[in-house]
Parts: sequence; structure tokens; C-alpha cells
Amino acid sequence: MPALFEYDENREAASAAKVRALEALLIKKGVLGSDAVDAVLRHFETVAGPFNGARIVARAWLDSDYKRRLLDDTPKAIAELHFPGMDGAEGEHMKAVANSESVHNLVICTQCSCYPWPVLGLPPYWYKDPVFRARGVREPRAVLREFGVPISAKKEVKVWDSSAQIRWFVIPERPAHSEHLTEAQLAALVTPEAMMGVALVPAPTAA
Amino acid sequence: MFTRFEEYAATQMLGQPDSPPRSEGKLLFREEWQRTVFGMALALSKEGHFEWEDFRQQLISAIATWENEACGGDITWDYYEHYTIALIAILEQCGMLDPGELERQMTPEDASK
Repeated sequence: MPALFEYDENREAASAAKVRALEALLIKKGVLGSDAVDAVLRHFETVAGPFNGARIVARAWLDSDYKRRLLDDTPKAIAELHFPGMDGAEGEHMKAVANSESVHNLVICTQCSCYPWPVLGLPPYWYKDPVFRARGVREPRAVLREFGVPISAKKEVKVWDSSAQIRWFVIPERPAHSEHLTEAQLAALVTPEAMMGVALVPAPTAA
Repeated sequence: MFTRFEEYAATQMLGQPDSPPRSEGKLLFREEWQRTVFGMALALSKEGHFEWEDFRQQLISAIATWENEACGGDITWDYYEHYTIALIAILEQCGMLDPGELERQMTPEDASK
């Protein structure tokens, strides 16, 4: 093995040992509960994250009445799904917009970095980038093209600026050849980027 | 306004030099120790042992130190290595950890690594 990698492995082991020792020491001192790490990370891993948004989108694809309720009163329709993480202030101001044959929606945030956490999880690195924020408003079609989402000139592009008052998210178009999929299988196709409008949901690969 | 500490804490870091690795809306941990150290800092601050902002400043400073020394031959970037340094520093700063205490806690086998 090249020396460089050998060094990295040692360094990795040293970091792991240090963290293990620190955790044991803090538990012994009584300042850290033995399940404190899991408890705090559970929030990111199971309570608030893109898995919630994906479930909402899959339900909307399967149930047109639900989709209508979601567009009419987003927080109320989300509450129907009984997510444990939706009781916070971040969840109360969400608004869904739907992509269609005639409209493509793009969500940005020009002022700060307002983001619907409970449904999309952590925003990507570029979300706070001032260049992305400025160009998203000025030339959304060019930005989308760079993301690999060319939008036909016939289709309208709507840009939604998230704020502390309203946090937008996109219901992407349901991909072709997905009629046979279950709600869970559909949810697995939905990415955070698709729910921001910078990606499309690809057709499922043949099983 | 955040009603949950976890979201407040992570949001403070986003777009800043101490922004954590992530992928597809989720935190990205390559190894279990990275998950542990990330969760420890959050849990301890949530319990009020130190201010999250004070920890962040330690982390930003650890990253800046690495950046300034990177020309010295150490080109390997590991976010969670700096995160560990910052957590130890804040614990020493608030008197929860004595200098050298962690080394004494480590087993001889660990310490030799």
C-alpha cells in the first residue's frame, strides 16, 4: 500500500480512538448521557429531512385530491401525514407549487437562506451562494440549464423566493413509466434537488 | 426563529467556513466516529454546557489554522478532525476537560496510534 494511504489510515484510527475516549470520559463524568448522541442525531436521521418531502410528493402523485389539498393549504395537507417533525415553526409556513407540462418552478432565497428543513433536510452548499441567488432571479433558465435541466421555451419558468414568511417547495412532475410503483418506491425517486426545482425526477430503471 | 436546537445549530453553520459535509439533504458521515463527535458537540451545547456560537468559533479557528499551515505538507482535509480539535478546545475552555485528561483516558493501545 502506498505510504500516503497508510498514513491516512493511522490518522483515521487515531481520530476514532480520540473520539471514543472522549465520549467514554464525558459519560463517566456524567455530562453526556449514554444515548445523547443518538437522540440528537435522530432529529436529522428520522424526524426532519428530505425523506418527509419525498413522501409528500409520492402521495401527491398517487392521489390527485391530496395534491389539490397540498397546493391549497400546504401545512394542513402535510399535517394529514402525521410527521413527528412538523410541529415546529419551520413547518408552518410552507407552500407547495407543482411542476406541470406548462410550468417549471424554481425555489431560491435571495435574502438569507430560508429553507423548508422538515421536508428537504439540509440545503446544498450552493444554496447560500450569492451568485446562485442573484442569477436564479435574473436568468433562471440559464441556471437551470447548468443544472442539467433545460426548459423548453414554451414552458413558463416561475421563480419563488423563500423567506421567513413562506418557504416554498416543488412537487416535481411524476416520471414516465412509474405507474407500477408503490408510494415508497416513488418516494425513493424524489431528491431534495427535484423539490427545489433544480432537477427532474428520472424515470425508474427497469427492475 | 427556530424552535429546535438541532436546526438552529446546523443552520448557523451553513454557508460558513464550518459548514458540515452533507449529501442529498442529509449529514454525511464516512465513519462512525464522525457521527459520534458531531452528535456530542450538539448534545453538550443543547444541554447548555457551552454556547453553540463559542464552539463554532473554535471550529472556524481550527479550520483557519489548518488552512494557514496547509502549505507545510499536510494537504489532507478532514472536516471532522478539526471538529474534534474544536470540541476538545471548547471543553477545556469551559473547564469540563483538563489538559492531558483525554490522553490519560485513552488506552495504551489507542494512545500509541
